[in-house]
Amino acid sequence: MRSIRAFVARQRGNPAIATLMVLAILMVLFSLTSNRFLTWENFVNVTRSSSTVMIVGCAVTLVMIARGLDLSVGSVLAVSVVASAKLASEGAPLEIAYLAALLVGLAFGLLNAAVIVGLRVTPIIATLGTLNIARGAAYLITSSAILVGLPPNWADLGTGSMFGAIPYPVVIAAAVTVFFWILLNYTVFGRNVYAVGGNEDAARIAGVNVPRMYVILYAMSGLSVGLAAIVLGSRLGSGDPNIGIGFEFDVIVAVVLGGTSLAGGEGRISGTILGALIVAVLSNGLNLAGVDPFWQYVAKGVALVVAVVIDRITSTDRETIVTRAPTAELESTTEGES
Amino acid sequence: MGERAVPEPVTSTSGSLDAPANGSEPLLSVAGISKRFPGVQALDDISTSVERGEVHCWIGENGAGKSTLIKVLAGLVAPDAGTISVEGQPVSIRTPHDSLQLGLAFILQELTVVGSLSVVENIVLGRESRRGPFFDRAASRTRAAKFMESIGFGHVNPLARVGDLSKSEQQAVMIARALSLNARAIFMDEATAALDDAEVVRLFAVIRRLTASGRAVVFVSHRLEEITAIADRVTVFKDGRIAASVHNHGVSHGDLIRWMVGREISAAFPPKTREAGEIALEARSISTRRITKVSLHARRGEIVGLGGLVGSGRSEVLRALYGMDPIREGEVLVNGAPAKLTSIRRALDSGLAFVSEDRRSEGIISKRSVEENLTIAWAARSPGRGWRRESRRITLRLIEELQIRTRGPGQLVATLSGGNQQKTLVGRCLAMEPGILLLDEPTRGVDVGAKTEIYHLIDQLARRGMAVILVTSELTELLGLADRILVMREGCLVGSLPGDAREIDVLALAMGHQDGEGAA
Repeated sequence: MRSIRAFVARQRGNPAIATLMVLAILMVLFSLTSNRFLTWENFVNVTRSSSTVMIVGCAVTLVMIARGLDLSVGSVLAVSVVASAKLASEGAPLEIAYLAALLVGLAFGLLNAAVIVGLRVTPIIATLGTLNIARGAAYLITSSAILVGLPPNWADLGTGSMFGAIPYPVVIAAAVTVFFWILLNYTVFGRNVYAVGGNEDAARIAGVNVPRMYVILYAMSGLSVGLAAIVLGSRLGSGDPNIGIGFEFDVIVAVVLGGTSLAGGEGRISGTILGALIVAVLSNGLNLAGVDPFWQYVAKGVALVVAVVIDRITSTDRETIVTRAPTAELESTTEGES
Repeated sequence: MGERAVPEPVTSTSGSLDAPANGSEPLLSVAGISKRFPGVQALDDISTSVERGEVHCWIGENGAGKSTLIKVLAGLVAPDAGTISVEGQPVSIRTPHDSLQLGLAFILQELTVVGSLSVVENIVLGRESRRGPFFDRAASRTRAAKFMESIGFGHVNPLARVGDLSKSEQQAVMIARALSLNARAIFMDEATAALDDAEVVRLFAVIRRLTASGRAVVFVSHRLEEITAIADRVTVFKDGRIAASVHNHGVSHGDLIRWMVGREISAAFPPKTREAGEIALEARSISTRRITKVSLHARRGEIVGLGGLVGSGRSEVLRALYGMDPIREGEVLVNGAPAKLTSIRRALDSGLAFVSEDRRSEGIISKRSVEENLTIAWAARSPGRGWRRESRRITLRLIEELQIRTRGPGQLVATLSGGNQQKTLVGRCLAMEPGILLLDEPTRGVDVGAKTEIYHLIDQLARRGMAVILVTSELTELLGLADRILVMREGCLVGSLPGDAREIDVLALAMGHQDGEGAA
C-alpha cells in the first residue's frame, strides 16, 4: 500500500499520467462487467466513436490553453453535417459536399473570432450565441426533417477502414492529432499559445500578435468541427439537425480530463486524446454492461468533476516544465522532480 | 538621501487600546522558530520580539527568511519547531483565523481589497453591522469613517469604489480594516513599493499614529533610507537567521548592507564614466491622452532618467514610445529617421524594448518556464528552422550573462525571486538586441543585492551602446544611475537636470515649487 502511495505521489506534476491511470482503472472495471468489452472489435468501436471528439478536442485544447472557450462546437457540427448532406442529396459530387462541411465550419469559426476579437465579447457568451445561431441554421436548412436520400458512397468514409483494419475516422483523427501536436509543441505559434494563456498582457507587451492568434485558434476550431462533420455525417448516413447536442460537453470533458486548466496556460494534446478515450470508454462500457443510457449523463458529469479535482491534486508543487531537449550539449535538464 | 520630515507623534487617542495589564512582556515574541522547505532552511532558530508602541523594521535579502516568518505568524505556514507567545502567553497559530484572533494584522504586497466594493464595505467585510438580515448602512458607515479618520484619511469618500482609489488610499483602507479588527500588531510587507514620496510621508504619519496609540508596527522594506527614517528597532535577517537586531541610533546604510549580505558593498552604483554617442531616439512634442507636448532625446551610451511623482506621466511617456498608447501629435525619430510607433510590433521592429513596472500582471508569465519567458519576444519575430536550438542557446547565454539564479531553463518563473524575475524581463528585452531600452521601475520589490546587480547590468548595457530611458520613483536610484534627469509633472516635462543634481532639486521640480533652495 505504501509503495502505491509513493508511486502516486511521484506522479505529481504529470497530468497525463493521472489521466492514463483513470483510463486504465475504467478499462479494468468494465472488463469485469462485460466479457464483450475487452475484444478487438470493441476496441475498434471505441476508437471509432471517439474520433469526432478527438478531432475537435485537439483544436479546442489550443483554444482553452489560450484561455478561450468554444461552446458552439455541437451546433456547428450539426449545421455542417446538414449543409453537406443537403448538397449531396441534391446531386452534388461528394467532394463538393465535403468542402461545404469544411467551409461551414470555418465560417462559424470566423464568426466566433469576429465577435470575440472584433467586438470584444467574452468567449462564453459569444460562442453561446453562435451555438444558437448554428442550431437554428441547421433546422432551417433541413426544415427540421432528417435528410435522407444520400448517394450510395456517402457512408464509405465513416464506416470503411484503411487496409480493412483501421477505420478511416481513426486515421483522420490520428492525422489531426499529429498536426496539432506538432503545432503546439514544435512551433513558435504553439509556444505563444501557452504564453497568451499564461499572461495575455505580458505576451502582448512582448510583441505577440494576440488578436491574430485568437482568430487563428477559433478558425481552426471551426474547421476541425467541419472535418468531424464529414466523418460523423458519413457514419450516420443521414443529415440530422438534432445531432451534436451535448457534443461540446463531451469535448470539454475530454480536454479538462486531459489536464488542460480552465484558467489557461497549461494543457497537452496527449491528455486530450486520453480524455476523449475515457469519455468513449465510459459510454461504451456502460452500454455493454446494460446500464440505462441516461446513467451515462450522470457518469459524464461525475467524470468532469473528478477531472478537475485530479488536476488540482496533481498540479500543486509543479516546479519545472520539462521540454524536449533539442541539443546534446546541454547539461541535464531533468531537474523535473518536484 | 536626506531624512524625511517625519511629523511629531500624534497624541490623539482615537481607537487606542486599553492600557496593558503587564507592561514588561513584549507584545509578541517568537523563540527558536525553524522551518525547512525542500532544499532550503528558510528559518533557522529565529528568536525575536515585537514591543508595544514600537516600529520594528525587518530587512534582509529575498530568501533571508522575513517573508517566511510573516507567513508563520499569519497562520499560513506551520513551523517545524519553536514557540510563539503573545503577552508572555504561549499561543498556537494554525490558521489565519487564529492569527487574527490574537490581534495580528498583515498588509502584504498584494493588496487584498475588493476593488468593486466601496471603502465602507471593504472595512466591515465579514462583520457588517446588521439589522436582522439586512445590512445596516448608517452604522457601518460610521464605524468605517471612524477608523479612516483615526489614521488621517478621513477625507476619502466612504462610498468611493476602492478600485478607483490610489494605491496609497487603498492601503489606508487595508490599515483601517486591520484597526477595526482590533489589531495589536500590524505587519507591513513592502508597503511603500507602489507609493511616491509624498504618499510615503503620509504612511509614516499613519504609522506614528498607530504606535502612539500603543500598537506595534512591523515594517518590512528594501528601502534603506525609509528604514533609518522610521524605525525604532531594526532586525536584519540573513540566510534564515538573525544577523543583527539593534536600536536605530546612528545605524548607517553601510552597516545595514553589511549585515544583510556580509560583505562591504562600497558603491551600489557604478561610476558614470560612459560616453554618449549620437542620438538614438528623439521625441518632438509628443502628446497622448495623458501627456502633453513632451520633447526628449536619448543618446547611445546614455542613461536618461525620468523623474516625477506618481501619476506625473513618466510611465505614460515610455508606453507612448513603445506603441502602447496612441500618439496624438508630435513625432518620434529613431536614429534620425521618423518612426511611426503605432503598435508594439512597430516599436519592436524599430529597436525599442520595454520592461513594465508591474511585472506580475504585465511582465512575467508565471506558469511558464524561464526559457519561454526569456525567448517569447525574440520568438515572436519568426526565427525560422532550428529555432528551438537557438532558443535554448539564447536562454543559457542570458542566464549566464545576467546571473539569473535558477536551477535550469525549465524552472517555472513563478518560483524565482523578485530580483531574478526582473532580470528575466530584462533578458527578454536583450534577446531582441534593442538599440533603445525603456525601463519602468526596474528594481521594484527587489532586494539590495540583486538591485546592485541590476544597476551594473544597466550600466553595462549603456556602455554597449544602448540608449536607456529609465523611470524610477526612488530618487537615490534616479540620481545614482542617470546621466541626465528629465522631470515630469502632471503630464508635462517641466525641467531637465544634470545627473549630479541634488535630490531636493528634483523633488522641487516634481512638486512644482519654483525655487529649490528654500527647502530644508
